[in-house]
Amino acid sequence: MAAKLKKYLKLFLFIQKNNLKTAFISKSDALTNIFIMVINNLSFVFMWWILFQHKGSINGWGFGDMAILFAVGNNAFGFFAVFARGVQQIPEYIDNGNLDNFLVYPQNSLFLISTSESSFASWGDFITGFLLFFISGYVSWLNFGIMLFCSFLGAILMYSIRLLVSSMAFFISDSQRLGDNIFISFITFSCQPASIFTGWYKIIFLTILPAGLLSLCPVNLIKNFYWYEFVYFILAIAFFFTISIIAYKSGLKRYSSGNRFGVR
Amino acid sequence: MTKYWHLFLISFKHSWSNKANLSGQLVFLFILLFIYNRLWVVIAADSSTSNLNQTFIWYLLFAEMIILSNPKIDRVLFDDIRSGTMAYYINKPISFFFMRYIEAVGNMSVSFLILGGFGTPITILFTGHPPFEWWQFPIIFTMCYISSCINIIMYTAVGMCSLWLASIRTLAMAIERLAFTLGGAIFPLSIYPEWFINIAQWTPFYSFYYLTVKLVYDFSFANLFQAICLNTFWILLIGFFINIAYHKLTKRINVYGG
Repeated sequence: MAAKLKKYLKLFLFIQKNNLKTAFISKSDALTNIFIMVINNLSFVFMWWILFQHKGSINGWGFGDMAILFAVGNNAFGFFAVFARGVQQIPEYIDNGNLDNFLVYPQNSLFLISTSESSFASWGDFITGFLLFFISGYVSWLNFGIMLFCSFLGAILMYSIRLLVSSMAFFISDSQRLGDNIFISFITFSCQPASIFTGWYKIIFLTILPAGLLSLCPVNLIKNFYWYEFVYFILAIAFFFTISIIAYKSGLKRYSSGNRFGVR
Repeated sequence: MTKYWHLFLISFKHSWSNKANLSGQLVFLFILLFIYNRLWVVIAADSSTSNLNQTFIWYLLFAEMIILSNPKIDRVLFDDIRSGTMAYYINKPISFFFMRYIEAVGNMSVSFLILGGFGTPITILFTGHPPFEWWQFPIIFTMCYISSCINIIMYTAVGMCSLWLASIRTLAMAIERLAFTLGGAIFPLSIYPEWFINIAQWTPFYSFYYLTVKLVYDFSFANLFQAICLNTFWILLIGFFINIAYHKLTKRINVYGG
């Protein structure tokens, strides 16, 4: 088991090294993309800053809480987009018959698909994420650790949701944009101040629609750390991750080859 | 013109048949309306102001109809230019640029109508009576449709940047984000400080989005006239850029292989 894990880690690092090399073929282009991404993220934060300046707070949430939410959200998306973005190409791979190329390798097909694409511009998400943490007003070593851990778990949640909607392609044809829209809806949901959801809305927001896990739990954990909330956060994400793997595997059982010949 | 009309019809029918894509857009629109309705309801309760959601959710609906119906023509042009597919089209008796533009308008029209048809009753359900009179609805709807057509022109210009950039994905995303901030596509510019509005006024997003969609809660013929004039100005300016880029493109195009 440990040897297998080491082998995959080695392969993962090799792929990431190659992704970096590819991105730096045109250095200026790569750096411009990161810069645009940072501006892009900050413009969204600015929009919310204006709203908080205008209204003060939203049901108890201030701009500092929102900054933490965006810090975790940006870092989580950064982890997902840099290291495992390939999962969003599953519908396209299925529709084009390219999935076969991944299935014939001895390595785990989901691992190969996930690492098949990387967004270099998303390194800009990390820059924004750290920047926002430092302006949030909750700066301490402990909070920094919690933020990083929550970001990593958030990335797993994003990955799970993306895998879940991408796996729809095994059952529905031409579902690339449907999956994109559902995933964007999830991201949009998780980038809102959680304080606007109260009562039943809050319960749905934390269970059926797991966006609340990303927007509410990290902010709560940084403001007031409770072990039960921390454990709930981990278990809920583990649940969605398991569900997504099951969905992928059952979809794969239904998959019949696109009969396309090619070598990667 | 008949050939362009037929191109429009083909792309309209093709988009109409893509149920999965349309339903995805509707899910996203519903979620946006739901979230921001909650947001404005909570803010209104906090600040003891009434009908905030009525004004801003209708505003959001029309703004999102423009944004969500955008058919990503920039990606199509990027593929055409980068793969060299464009070379197959430029020697045909049809303008390559207009062909792609009309196809995009056909796609956009389906999404725009579906989003409008779905979003209007949902917004009525959330907010009740709209902030405008019903006789103004067709005028606002038409103005937003025209803004969507202009939006495609802007993304065509982004697509043309494939000439100079290795990837236009981030640029297109940045343009979309600028529409949110400088165009006030989520929060109307009226809540922004004066200095920011003064900057936004110098960008095309101000007229494509804010001035057009503002008619929802501030309808007057003076505002309508201002939106028409500024939109025309920006169409001419962006059209001029596309024209230059298109001429450079046709000169630079390289075709490899047999």
